[in-house]
Amino acid sequence: MFKLDVCNSAWGAKEVLKFYKILPKHATVIDSKLTTISDTLCSVNQPHPSPPTFAPNDWHGALFLTFANRHGATELIENLGQAPLKVQRPFYPEGDEACHTVIMHTAGGIVGGDRLSLDIRLLPNSNALLTTPAAAKVYRTQGREARQTVAIAVAASAVLEWLPQETIVFDGALYRQDLRIDLAPNAHWIGWDMTRFGRTARGEKFINGVWRSHTEVWQNDRPVWIDRQWLPGSDVLFHSPHGLAGSPIVGSFAYIGQAVDPELVQAARSLWSGTLGETGVTRLQTGMLCRYRGTSTIEMRQWFIAVWQLVRATLFKRSVCIPRVWQL
Amino acid sequence: MDIHTKANAGETHAQNIRLLRLLQLASPVLPVGAYSYSEGIESLVQKGTISSADQLEQWLVQELQYGAVRLEAAMMLRSHRATVAQDLSVLETWNQWLSAARETEELRSQSLQMGRSLLRLFQALSPDFAPVPSDPCHFAIAFGLVAAAWHIETPWATLGYLHSWATNLVSAGIKLIPLGQTAGQQLLVNLDPTIAQATQDLLSLQDEDLSSSGWGLTLASMSHETLYSRLFRS
Repeated sequence: MFKLDVCNSAWGAKEVLKFYKILPKHATVIDSKLTTISDTLCSVNQPHPSPPTFAPNDWHGALFLTFANRHGATELIENLGQAPLKVQRPFYPEGDEACHTVIMHTAGGIVGGDRLSLDIRLLPNSNALLTTPAAAKVYRTQGREARQTVAIAVAASAVLEWLPQETIVFDGALYRQDLRIDLAPNAHWIGWDMTRFGRTARGEKFINGVWRSHTEVWQNDRPVWIDRQWLPGSDVLFHSPHGLAGSPIVGSFAYIGQAVDPELVQAARSLWSGTLGETGVTRLQTGMLCRYRGTSTIEMRQWFIAVWQLVRATLFKRSVCIPRVWQL
Repeated sequence: MDIHTKANAGETHAQNIRLLRLLQLASPVLPVGAYSYSEGIESLVQKGTISSADQLEQWLVQELQYGAVRLEAAMMLRSHRATVAQDLSVLETWNQWLSAARETEELRSQSLQMGRSLLRLFQALSPDFAPVPSDPCHFAIAFGLVAAAWHIETPWATLGYLHSWATNLVSAGIKLIPLGQTAGQQLLVNLDPTIAQATQDLLSLQDEDLSSSGWGLTLASMSHETLYSRLFRS
């Protein structure tokens, strides 16, 4: 099923070890690949870690992806997944250069105790767009935190676009996501994060629970953007202008990679044409940040797509290509 | 005077000097230009989101409980500890961290301008003190360094940092809303328990839990960057 040749792969022993470490003790289906990994571990004299403690029904999903530029085409050269995470076959709607990949969470939602770990690498000169087929759901929990950890490394002259669909955080959820991106010199990252607090269609508000989303982008071993958002569920924060101002939907769009002109910020501001939300744009040390707070994912997404188009056209001389799974 | 009384008198004297230094460092007349910044209050007042002492108080309370000023104060503490440990590389790491974490360009510029002013002032007063970080240096980092150099203990330094921040924003609110001087002083009195609680929390806050609820402040500051007419620089 997996085409991973551990001995010849770009993974070092550390990565293999990491993968081994996050596999659940109770995994009922263990791929034969594990044998290879165990053998590799023995051969590099790494101690076998003791698996962390899990309740029997916890998901501990993992996904390792590596993209490489082979003769001008970006290929997914390594693809190793542990349920409930996997990817669909990559597609190339804008030609060989950019690889579109859809990350699936096959269990339908995230519950307290779940751990999801994604490790994504882009080798030099590769170009990948990652997205998801539908909104992610984080369910209410009885006191156990769910956690998603994403580590992304983008090599020189590679571009990663990280454009997942929205996350719906149910009232009572305890959720933490950590996204760390390491950029080589002249590497670029475009990403967004869209969150809905509470199942608003049924009038639910996020009053109980805790949500944290830590995003860090590093370049040349220096932090270039650190965004550590925290929303403890509370009636006060849900309604106050300092918190959500009664608007359950928030989102951020960021471009990081090189310093941008003030004109780009101005242009991003002028692309906003919505009526339901508040927005703002600012320059980052080596990039640009847009924020939305409002009540409509549609207008938020329209604006983000317009800014994404602006960034692609201005910095990369390419126009956007809407992934087919978005069903706009 | 026996030897113990002498020792006590010496300690009381040293403690008094530390208190005086804290009053100086946290004073609104510290020449770092704090009075020219409102940290988004100006755009919130223009929008009508803040139009009373009560609304300003709610905003400041939530900043202290959940907001960006907690991260700044946490960086001040880390700078203080790194200065005591004479570890310049740790201090510079947190300085870079703060550059990456400041919500907007305007807030980043404010923090760096005030930091530069404080560091230059301190170097004029104590030319031999070392190590000192290189420019650009954030205000919270410079404040922590000076507090450590002046032997002000971390709980006091934190109380002083948050109090000077609150005083400055209340003063901005008095001009912008506008409020009477007595209402401003009442607001500061009302903030005391929140500042005391925030100080307790910050002293034990772990690095991995450094986070803030930043939507309101970020949007207010981003909007300030586009205000046509303004009195304040942030």
